[in-house]
Amino acid sequence: MSYTTTSRELIDLLGLKGSPVAVKLAKTASDVPAGYQKVPEKSRHCQFVQDARLKGLKGYAAREEHVCKGGAGVMGIEPLPPSVADGSTYHKLGNFKTSEGALDTVTAIPKCAETHYASVYSPLETAEFEPDVVVVVATPRQALRLTQAYLHAAGGRISSDYSGIQSICADAVVAVKERGVPNMTLGCNGSRKNSGIAEDEVIMGIPPKNLAAIVEALKVFAGKWG
Amino acid sequence: MAKTVRAIGIPAPNAGILAGNVLKNLDNPGEEVRFVLSPGAEVGLDAVARKHGYTLEFTKADAAVEARMVPSGKSMEEVDVSGDFCPGPVITVGNILAGLPVGERLKVKSTSADTIADVAAAVTSSGSKVVGEGVEGDRHYLVAEKAEKQAAGAAAAVDRDRVLIVQGNGIGNAERAYATFIFSKVAQSMGRKVTIFLLMDGVSIAKKGNAAAVKHPAFDRLDRLMAEVVAAGATVYACELSAKFRGIEQADLADGVKLAGAATYLQLLSDPAYTVVNF
Repeated sequence: MSYTTTSRELIDLLGLKGSPVAVKLAKTASDVPAGYQKVPEKSRHCQFVQDARLKGLKGYAAREEHVCKGGAGVMGIEPLPPSVADGSTYHKLGNFKTSEGALDTVTAIPKCAETHYASVYSPLETAEFEPDVVVVVATPRQALRLTQAYLHAAGGRISSDYSGIQSICADAVVAVKERGVPNMTLGCNGSRKNSGIAEDEVIMGIPPKNLAAIVEALKVFAGKWG
Repeated sequence: MAKTVRAIGIPAPNAGILAGNVLKNLDNPGEEVRFVLSPGAEVGLDAVARKHGYTLEFTKADAAVEARMVPSGKSMEEVDVSGDFCPGPVITVGNILAGLPVGERLKVKSTSADTIADVAAAVTSSGSKVVGEGVEGDRHYLVAEKAEKQAAGAAAAVDRDRVLIVQGNGIGNAERAYATFIFSKVAQSMGRKVTIFLLMDGVSIAKKGNAAAVKHPAFDRLDRLMAEVVAAGATVYACELSAKFRGIEQADLADGVKLAGAATYLQLLSDPAYTVVNF
């Protein structure tokens, strides 16, 4: 399915900076979409998302390309390093007062139930594959509109959960893929400091199946609210 | 196949908001959904389930609560095997599980914790999983989940660090009775975990008072040896069928001896971690 029109409408209706990013977790090498090459440089998942969003990066990152092993670990691309899995890394970094608190947090972080070969990235409008999740980096006001648009058809509330670590990987991709509902996250030190998520931006992961209804709702809002 | 959503660490009421959102956005409307939650997060989920036409069942295991949302009108199959004895419960449960699709669950209840333990052994041996156990009133229960049996050869290499001593002669053959517990002590001294399975005439050792009547001049009294081995961590099972055959009831058993069924015995025999010794 092509999301070219959907993506362009999302960008226009919300006034997004850059593109929504299509992310797919490929189970095997043969599951990587045809024509997609390895990303040109090793980096972090959040940087790949930013490069797809702002520079049009299209490509995939297998185990060797992932520098952030925590991100690769929660996405099932490789085992989590022991010091990440037991929380000691975050305890040492100062995120948590106690090792118990750190362990409690890393235990709760969403993790893929299955293993994967690679993560695949593309701006949504040019993605030649069906994404597992669409990541939108947005201002709080844009995220508000996305939330309102998601709830427009059937109402309800959104519950977002995050812990300030492993955000664009676990919160915006894994949680959304595993649950099938959106999740918003405020980023983490890595994505803010190293990958250029701006002070006035938050991150939302959205299941692709919801995009059409979101765009339709945004059009209604534009008609009513300008 | 049910959808499983892990939501550990998300407190109430947010877990309920998430659950409602998931139910509203299922790829297969009406499918069963299992939420794995931190204890306490399940508060309010009953209202969410009702609102979306689901019934709610809880299974508590380790540090998590599994909230199972089942479309109303479809509930987990249950069987109560109270009063039945080995091998009846295992056969009953095996027949029901055989007819269930992969992923479906069966709740097995009994007034006997030993029967539930035996059924658990049978479920695991058959390749399915025990996903919850507990007590409700006077009933012990387990929740079994049907799974595909793994192909042979998939198992990782194991350490043979356990010893199963099978005793089938009882106090009528003092030498073999002594050997059972002397070998157990040797195995324990070697750091091995010991399990003793008393069956056929071997269950006579398990009857309260019987072992105290066995004393060889060169060795300590048999009941004392047995108590030492149990205190050092050995598990001693008496075959339920053999006990029944000889009129031995649970209340007649010496301290530290548990009744177990054929499924437990067969699982022990087929476990590659065990070295088996027969007396």
